[in-house]
Amino acid sequence: MKSPVPVFDCHGHLGVHPDFPAYKQDLEAIIQVMDLLNIEVLAITSTRACYNDCPRGNAEVAEALRAYPQRFRGYVTVNPNPPGEALRELERWSYFHRPPLIKLHPDLHKYPVSGGHYRPVWDFAHQMRAVVLVHTWESDPNCGPLLLGPIAREFSQAKIILGHSGVTWRGHAQALEVAAETPNTFLDITGSQSHRIIIERMVAQVGAQRILFGSDMPFLEAAMVLGRVLSARISDGDREKILRKNFLSLIEEDGC
Amino acid sequence: MSGSAIEPALSEVSAWDLFDANVRVGRSGVHGELALEAPDLLAEMDRFGIRQALVSHFAAEEYDPEEGDRALASDLSDRLVPAWAALPDAAFLQQLALRSPRAVRLSFGVKKHNFSWAAWCSGELCDYLQQHSILTVIGCEDLEWNSLAHLLEDFPRLPVLLLETGYRSDRYLFPLLQRHAHLYFDTSTYVAHRQLESFVERFGPERSVFGSRLPLYTPAAALAVLATARISDEAKLAIAGGTLRRLLGRAAA
Repeated sequence: MKSPVPVFDCHGHLGVHPDFPAYKQDLEAIIQVMDLLNIEVLAITSTRACYNDCPRGNAEVAEALRAYPQRFRGYVTVNPNPPGEALRELERWSYFHRPPLIKLHPDLHKYPVSGGHYRPVWDFAHQMRAVVLVHTWESDPNCGPLLLGPIAREFSQAKIILGHSGVTWRGHAQALEVAAETPNTFLDITGSQSHRIIIERMVAQVGAQRILFGSDMPFLEAAMVLGRVLSARISDGDREKILRKNFLSLIEEDGC
Repeated sequence: MSGSAIEPALSEVSAWDLFDANVRVGRSGVHGELALEAPDLLAEMDRFGIRQALVSHFAAEEYDPEEGDRALASDLSDRLVPAWAALPDAAFLQQLALRSPRAVRLSFGVKKHNFSWAAWCSGELCDYLQQHSILTVIGCEDLEWNSLAHLLEDFPRLPVLLLETGYRSDRYLFPLLQRHAHLYFDTSTYVAHRQLESFVERFGPERSVFGSRLPLYTPAAALAVLATARISDEAKLAIAGGTLRRLLGRAAA
């Protein structure tokens, strides 16, 4: 099984994690799996940055981009703690991509995405028309999808990806509610919960153009999400949008 | 089952003689439109080339084990193999024995059947299951890891199939697999990056069995993980159904 079209994957990582062993997570092993599944490009976030050290983690992303510029795009991961560090990191790594790709993980950083310490980041994203990938989880006080509706309306030039679309069945319903009301939000389908009929429901409710393929590689298994997309009862045109065209368009690349 | 109905992207699985270890049937008060009655469940199995499934009934899990088992009996076919509900109750055990079970699903959870795994509560039931090599299916959310370890120590020949371990479970799962030769787990939520192929490289293919978590999850997810694992064809066939058929065959024997 592999994708019939080269995939542009909006949600990847770099690094290990504290709560279970990581397997085959070095860059070369990731690229082997990308080739196996026909994933052309993976947009990566530093897992170290998501957990405890943004400056060091973003530097690791910089190295990956230097080593394999054709295969990776880099998010700058920022933490609202301590205040001020986020904008410094965005400035430091401003060459990663235009428009900027920003990753927020309010769950691991234990700070609400709607909180005041994030406002400078949202202002920056609005001004720069940045793409902001936010980890979301159903009804979570720090990263519940519904928190992002008011943010998307206030910072309307930011393009906000709801990472995992809230994860659970009900989390997806919340993410869909936000996407239906705010045109600058997009739904990332990566996640460990592979509910039946969810992709069909998302396409029916907000249209395929708002849905992005994400794998979470090398955290989660990319083949799992690819299998879901390839077997979803949607048109081949919609499938290609999800697998490739939408993320290309969002990050303003032509894919040639 | 028609091979031509299989999803084209996953057509390679048509040769696997798939036996799904993790399927539930019937109406659910929790899962709403995701739940499927038997005819629709079979149609969904057809889409993914799943020839047989080990099934339990939502009515048994969510409402009444006895009624659920009756409903399950009415849904059975050569493709739907029952994992009966069971309770630590002499009368229930008598009824269960009349069914010549090959598999049971124990729902220890406080909000499910709410009983203890320990010998003072479930000893007679577990003795019976162990004596007859009946595959004992347990959802990971229904039994915390220390309790599972004690159960396996107290009943060392009891074949246990752990469902939905999740992908963060290896630091619990590996020591238990090394200590207990009759412990198995399903692949439905074992979905970290290259986790299944790494597991097979370390432990071989005989301890994991394919599970989809139908009707809640699409089988496409677990099938795609197995299809793209860089392991031998023999290993894929064992996980796809060979091991589960062998386990159920022991009980029948």
